[in-house]
Amino acid sequence: MKKLILNLFLILGFSSVVFAQVPKGDVLIQNATVLTITNGTLEDTDILIEDGKIKSIGQNLRQPNNVEVIDAEGMFVMPGIIDAHSHIAGTSINEGTSQVTAEVSMEDVVNPMDVSIYRALAGGVTSIHLMHGSANVIGGQNETLKLRYGTTNPDDLRFEGAPRTIKFALGENPTRGGRARGIQPQTRMGVEAMIRNAFNDAIEYRDEWAAYNANRSNRKIAPEYDLRMETMVDILEGEILVHCHSYRADEIYMLMNVFSDFGIEKLTFQHANEAYKVAPELAAFGASASIFSDWWAYKLEVYYSTAYNAAILTRNGVNTSINSDSGELIRHLFHEAAKSQKYGSLSDNEALRLITLNPAMQLGIDDRVGSIEVGKDGDIAIFDKHPLSTYAIPQMTFVDGVKYFDINTDVADQRIMIDPESTIEDVVIFSREDHDMCMHEESIVNFYELVNEEK
Amino acid sequence: MKLLRILSFRLFVLLPFLMAPVLVNAQSDPTGESPVTRTYAITNATIIPSPGAKIEGGTLLISDGVITAVGTTVNIPDHAQVIDGTELWIYPGFIDGMSNTGASRPDAMERPNNLFTPDPPNDYAGITPEISVVEQLNIEESSIESMRKLGFTVSHTVPYGRMLPGKSSLVLLTDVEHVDHMVLKENVATVSQFVGAPGSYPGNTLGIMAKWRNIYRNAELSKRNTEMYASNPTGLARPANDRVLEAFYPVVEKTQPMLFNASSLLEAQRAMRLQNEMGFNLMIGNLEQSWKIIDELDNNNVSVFLSLDLPEKPDEIDDEDKSEEVAELEARRLEFYNRYMEQFAALKAAGIKFGFSTMDVSNSKIKKNLIALQEFGFDSTDALAALTTHPAELLGINNITGTLEAGKMGNAIVTTGPYFSSDSDVKMVFVDGDKYEYEIKEGSKTEVSDEVLDAVIGTWNYSSTTPQGEQTGQLIFTNVDGAIEGVWTSDAGNPDIDMNNISYRDGVLTFDIEFDAGGQLIEIVVTGDVVGNEYDAEASIAAFNFSFPLMAIKQDPEN
Repeated sequence: MKKLILNLFLILGFSSVVFAQVPKGDVLIQNATVLTITNGTLEDTDILIEDGKIKSIGQNLRQPNNVEVIDAEGMFVMPGIIDAHSHIAGTSINEGTSQVTAEVSMEDVVNPMDVSIYRALAGGVTSIHLMHGSANVIGGQNETLKLRYGTTNPDDLRFEGAPRTIKFALGENPTRGGRARGIQPQTRMGVEAMIRNAFNDAIEYRDEWAAYNANRSNRKIAPEYDLRMETMVDILEGEILVHCHSYRADEIYMLMNVFSDFGIEKLTFQHANEAYKVAPELAAFGASASIFSDWWAYKLEVYYSTAYNAAILTRNGVNTSINSDSGELIRHLFHEAAKSQKYGSLSDNEALRLITLNPAMQLGIDDRVGSIEVGKDGDIAIFDKHPLSTYAIPQMTFVDGVKYFDINTDVADQRIMIDPESTIEDVVIFSREDHDMCMHEESIVNFYELVNEEK
Repeated sequence: MKLLRILSFRLFVLLPFLMAPVLVNAQSDPTGESPVTRTYAITNATIIPSPGAKIEGGTLLISDGVITAVGTTVNIPDHAQVIDGTELWIYPGFIDGMSNTGASRPDAMERPNNLFTPDPPNDYAGITPEISVVEQLNIEESSIESMRKLGFTVSHTVPYGRMLPGKSSLVLLTDVEHVDHMVLKENVATVSQFVGAPGSYPGNTLGIMAKWRNIYRNAELSKRNTEMYASNPTGLARPANDRVLEAFYPVVEKTQPMLFNASSLLEAQRAMRLQNEMGFNLMIGNLEQSWKIIDELDNNNVSVFLSLDLPEKPDEIDDEDKSEEVAELEARRLEFYNRYMEQFAALKAAGIKFGFSTMDVSNSKIKKNLIALQEFGFDSTDALAALTTHPAELLGINNITGTLEAGKMGNAIVTTGPYFSSDSDVKMVFVDGDKYEYEIKEGSKTEVSDEVLDAVIGTWNYSSTTPQGEQTGQLIFTNVDGAIEGVWTSDAGNPDIDMNNISYRDGVLTFDIEFDAGGQLIEIVVTGDVVGNEYDAEASIAAFNFSFPLMAIKQDPEN
């Protein structure tokens, strides 16, 4: 749909966005145990990254001139961890005032100065999916980021070339927003109706513009432009991947039916605590799930949960990832992945895939990241022990071959922007309960929700 | 200094004691106060006709609103009022690049009954680009006098409001009988800001950015549709009228810039993101953090008005035993203080001509801040340029004002010494050729009365029962140059918030604080009785029609 409109705007004359140049690094990592994800575990192996890309993997690689060498003997190298559900690095999370806000985009509110980015890097994370919140049925578009911490330019964090994605939300969160405002939807039935209506409106909109564009020679009054509908059309045309906040099996199944009706194929369920109940159906649809390892019971619809969710989904052939949805959990996603071995006995490689290649596939960036292969991006995490060990501590984290975290040169104060009028005594310790979660700013509804943030 | 839009206001009770201006320019004047002549000659003065120039022993002649001569050999007409300028300095009148001066804040719009939050009426959503700030101007607005007294003669005044509050005007800070007579130039820029509508769309930056794009794209289409229809309507469906879209036409045509109120780095980057997508001419005002985007501002040809709301120099903890960590944190804080202060010189070094915005700074700090910048590579000539020639150029009035030259408008400041020093005072200000005189009080400063000092100034420990439980912290009131300023702190570790509108009268202490809940500005008004060292107050949040009790005990200053 964008293409149709684009021609018109080219006539009207507007310039395009200029992308910033981001740093790319060169590094040679030697003698490591390399957890490739796609090609098993390689002992005593070197990885050469040049100009931000993995150039070669093998033993005794020749050392090029002027390239930093890291002796990783006894250490474990894995692909940078990818968090498919995060709310760090955003200045706003929910535009919850309307129940369909497909037009808004997290790319407008990226905050590159959020110290949480550095904390995530210190947990081996190299990419996140900065998601809109779950306050409304069709929320905003998300933004896939690379954690290039140290810049003040939001554009520097963009995962350039990553597909567009969007947040949908089912269940208690959007219906509570609806009830608080006295608008649709107030029930799960209303949620389904709103999604169907939004797509039907988009089809009408597409037809209207198609008719207008079909014969450009005539003098005609152009229809109204609607960025919301533009976005919905892009979803229908498969240009935007849908990531849907959901918990219950019945609503997960409902959305697959809706998407089948509208011919939309690319679908990932976020949270999906009851996905294990519809695992074969998810596999048949080709839908993915991005879940918590063992976090539940924070509201009624999240009681029927199990720590075996990841294993059951994996065994049923559903592409599954484990996410954080938290500025705290994001620091130890490798522990979260390891829980799938305690509950469900996934293999090392299956467990690691939950936080690397699988989320990369869900975000459509698996051609670039998620495994250690020649030609992929130099996004790498180095651990002192096997990352699935309780004792593992991240040592270094690279994005595009550039080192953004090194435990040996870790400076305590990582802030990029400091208020000169701040008081020094105010050391804020991160609180898991009140930051970087889905329902952040849903608070706009009323005072009580202002002080009770939920995901 | 908070990026929240917070202003410090002078205590209301002190207003009557402020030095009063001499009223002029009444057309028919039974009071007999109108001047006998509008021709003024100030002789034997030190004249700074433009930044970097200087005339010793010069004469400035202003006649019927216009500067008719500047120099050392000036023929003074017989009907001129001659003012001995010995030991006086004369500067061109200042131009404020962005402020609300002269405008009165309209009453907050009540939340409509049965508001459909996804699609509120435009006025509630704050989408009123068709409004001219002239509708908000008020000849009795006290800011006209308080800013003029500092030397400002022209203000680029923007309307109060939310996302798209309306269009700005250049306003002469004169005392006239009708607002129209104040307006030097109407509809200078269309104004945008990142202020969401309370509880409705667009509620925060996310919605504002999307809505902005949507409006702009439709304005482009609407303009095209309307022109097509106007040229030949036959056979065409009538395009719908839309005042919002029509207000964007001059921006789309690039005959009028879009002025973004963007104080933070991220807000300025968002404004430039929209500019890159759409291609309009951009002004950014009220900017507090420019040092990281100097190249972008330059490349995008942005007209910049930097905020004069500068941070206070941070105090270091005076304790020999303070930890190394605290010392390091203090050093980094100081480093950022320096960046704020050095950005003015940095922009100048990059060749960017910018003006100032006084929007979020209290009047008492404007001159102090200008002087403070001299230590950071931004001297009095630079400051004068940013107050006169540069904003005149950026606002397209450099052929009218900005310098003291024959033929320009009679806008001038007469001071008792160099303006940019702490021991000079403004003695007269000429606006549009009319004279405003100020009494110079020897060594006297406005002081907070003893009553207020005793009752309010100090540190109060408060506790408040909110739905999330007991909240505690401190209310710290200080006497800053004769005005009460206050800070709200929280023991929960939330950032300190500057209080606004502090007033103490008849034992009732009232103030408000504003904080940003993700783009939505929440205002809490606190009011209650002070009895001895106890403050028994109620805090209310109008947006939620909700209030809760707040109790505070004043600390004994001896402890």
